[in-house]
Amino acid sequence: MDDSRTARLVLAVLRCYPARWRRRHGEEAAELAALLIKDGTPAGSIACSYLAGAARAWLTPGHGRRPGAVACVLLAGVCLMGVSAGLLTSTVPARAASTSQARPRPHCQPGSPRPAAGMIPAARLPQAIIEVTGHGRSC
Amino acid sequence: MAVGRRDDGTGPDVLRRAGEASVLILISLASGPKHGYALIQDIKDLVGVELGPGTLYGALDRLERLGLIEPMPADDRRHPYRITAPGAAALRVHLDSVERVSAAGRLRLRLGGI
Repeated sequence: MDDSRTARLVLAVLRCYPARWRRRHGEEAAELAALLIKDGTPAGSIACSYLAGAARAWLTPGHGRRPGAVACVLLAGVCLMGVSAGLLTSTVPARAASTSQARPRPHCQPGSPRPAAGMIPAARLPQAIIEVTGHGRSC
Repeated sequence: MAVGRRDDGTGPDVLRRAGEASVLILISLASGPKHGYALIQDIKDLVGVELGPGTLYGALDRLERLGLIEPMPADDRRHPYRITAPGAAALRVHLDSVERVSAAGRLRLRLGGI
């Protein structure tokens, strides 16, 4: 990457900082980046470091944190979680996604092959009857 | 063993949660005022850790807010920083605390025969 492009990249990242931070450190930060690049530090790693620093600066009280910005970040996080949860529930079977554990049916309990009292063994009944007497799901 | 608070009256270890970068910056400034680039170079020479510029400015802001360092008049575009008296005291408390933890760890290793 040539000098002008790296300089542009760093300047673009520095614009991500709150205005107050830029007024205070902006020029020095750009000069420091130029010196580090001259020393052989990759421009990408400098840009990444400044980008992480900008995120921290926005979340640090006294620099640029505005209630609106924080609310936006929180809202975006909540939406993202909602979308993720929606995707998960749509891809896994309904019984796995259910948060309320269904009360175990006597004939579904692992290790108890004996049907509960009063139930007709499934093998002796047609499918339609099984659906009426059972809970309609596969055990 | 309480690492964060000393019982000998010198106060709590305010640097305990400040992060490694803050401690390294204070150690570097203990030998005299420096600006950003000089701090990065000094810390690299001292302990082999290369601080990213974003990390550096974040730590400088935090230390300044805590009153542990202060900016000096700008030299061209560079702002040198110097350690304050509370900063030196905090660094001393922190280093003592680290020393106690280190001694305890070595003792345990010896007792464990490791």
